[in-house]
Amino acid sequence: MSGEERIKYLFLLPSVIMILSFIIFPLIYSLYLSLTNWQIGRVPSLIGLSNYLKVFTDYRVHNSLTFTLLFTIFTVSIETLFALGVAILSQQKFFGNRFFRVLFTAPFFTCPVALSYLSITIFYEEGGPLNNLLKLLFDIKVPWISDPDYAFLSLCLVDIWQWTPFLYIIFLAGLESLPKEPYEAATIDGASSFQIFRYVTIPLLAPVIITGVLLKIIESLKVFDIIYALTGGGPGVSTESYTMYIYKTGFRFFRLGYAAALSFILLIILMILFTILAFRLREVYYE
Amino acid sequence: MKKKIIKRLLIYLFVVLASIWAAFPFYWALTTSFKSKADVFKPLFIPFIQFQPTLENWLSEAMLRGEVIMLGLRNSLIAACTSAVLCVILGGMAGYALARFKFRRWKNRDIIIWFFSLRFLPPIAVAIPFFLIFMNMGLIDNVLSLILSYTVFFMPFSTLVLRDIFKGIPRELEESALVDGCNWFSAFRRIALPLAAPGLIAAFIICFALAWNEFLFALILTYRNATTIPVVIAGAEHSQGVDFWYICTRSVIAITPPVILATLVQKWLVSGLTLGAVRGAR
Repeated sequence: MSGEERIKYLFLLPSVIMILSFIIFPLIYSLYLSLTNWQIGRVPSLIGLSNYLKVFTDYRVHNSLTFTLLFTIFTVSIETLFALGVAILSQQKFFGNRFFRVLFTAPFFTCPVALSYLSITIFYEEGGPLNNLLKLLFDIKVPWISDPDYAFLSLCLVDIWQWTPFLYIIFLAGLESLPKEPYEAATIDGASSFQIFRYVTIPLLAPVIITGVLLKIIESLKVFDIIYALTGGGPGVSTESYTMYIYKTGFRFFRLGYAAALSFILLIILMILFTILAFRLREVYYE
Repeated sequence: MKKKIIKRLLIYLFVVLASIWAAFPFYWALTTSFKSKADVFKPLFIPFIQFQPTLENWLSEAMLRGEVIMLGLRNSLIAACTSAVLCVILGGMAGYALARFKFRRWKNRDIIIWFFSLRFLPPIAVAIPFFLIFMNMGLIDNVLSLILSYTVFFMPFSTLVLRDIFKGIPRELEESALVDGCNWFSAFRRIALPLAAPGLIAAFIICFALAWNEFLFALILTYRNATTIPVVIAGAEHSQGVDFWYICTRSVIAITPPVILATLVQKWLVSGLTLGAVRGAR
């Protein structure tokens, strides 16, 4: 028994030590940073909570938080509906079903930076494929990147292309693990396929949908790569996400103290969301 | 009967539309990288019929920027492979401990949720202290700093995937080995590890893809010698306007490896992506 005792700690400890020294320690260090006016090339001094108070009057914090929130709501709702539709579609019988599943999950693994960089060409206003097609069909030219609203839309399209597969994989797995009996009962009672979907599938799938949506919300709130590569936050600061603003504060303007404070606010928001998810996890891992 | 035909047609219509949606960017990048510079801005989509493919872009890319791209590829490979191997080793050990043994003071469930919570950590919150710590250690622009960051960041993930996989291996097999006089360690090495091999490979591939695609840490911690492919791509300057042809060759280079590898591990994606929050149909 003592051998077992020893080996279980021996196996777990390396990762725990790693997490403590490379995540928990840096976070504590960052908490200290956020209380200073640390700038590269200057002697830092403690300034208490004034970095956190500055947040309330910083226009770009409000701007980037609003953008991030709108972006999250917009992309997550469309991705959820789209992914649910495609998941139900791939439960039908059709030729090439297996191949379709692989193809539809592939976007999730594309390098986000390369994808957005590629999107520059796709959304290119003079002679990009999208505008070429729109010109052919409707004779219109859309300012995909240079107009703030369309830039927002372009970013959403890239995100939807990349992240719908994520929700799709989750929903599909959820659908396939549903019990058969409720469906048989509903069919015997003469329910239409829409009624079955509305009153059997959706309630049964609800926990899976909620989990997937929460995971995606948390990812969306951290959005950075595609914005850096596609719009750079522009035009102006209209598509600047919160992480993008922290990055600029810390590594363009080198105000690391303030950037650390900003990142702690994001951390707290995500921790609140995680707590909600943790309740669900405690059920899953109940043993 | 008529209703059934309409239903079938609708299914195929949606399948085709969804396939075009998913495949278009890949197709566009690949075909454009083989277009001559004159054809790039024209609405031409089908090679050989609408335009004559050429190797010109790939050759001039290799001549002009071959060195930078090779350096990026080399760094990406080293950082992604090493950190993925470390993730599998550390995550495999921790995952095995969490699947097989009961922890008392903190319950297994609490440790698992603690690991899980790390996935929600915004990378930027750690990137700032990382930058200062690695600067003090003299590891800025060194692949080592990337390997360390990626290992820490993706290891919780591999732990939870591998815990799931070890949980799926019947405990009795190891117990009978113990009865035959093996100790726990050799039971782990001789019985559990070989049985978990496909899962270990899947965890490796997913960690590899995550590390390969990672951008924020690479952007902050490297600038010249240790830049990975995403940073090379994001930093490419354009000589006149937007060079469609080079964007497409580089995107193809960056996108291909993880996408190809990931198609091999479809089966494990669900438990991998949600860290077990959704039980997949196995």
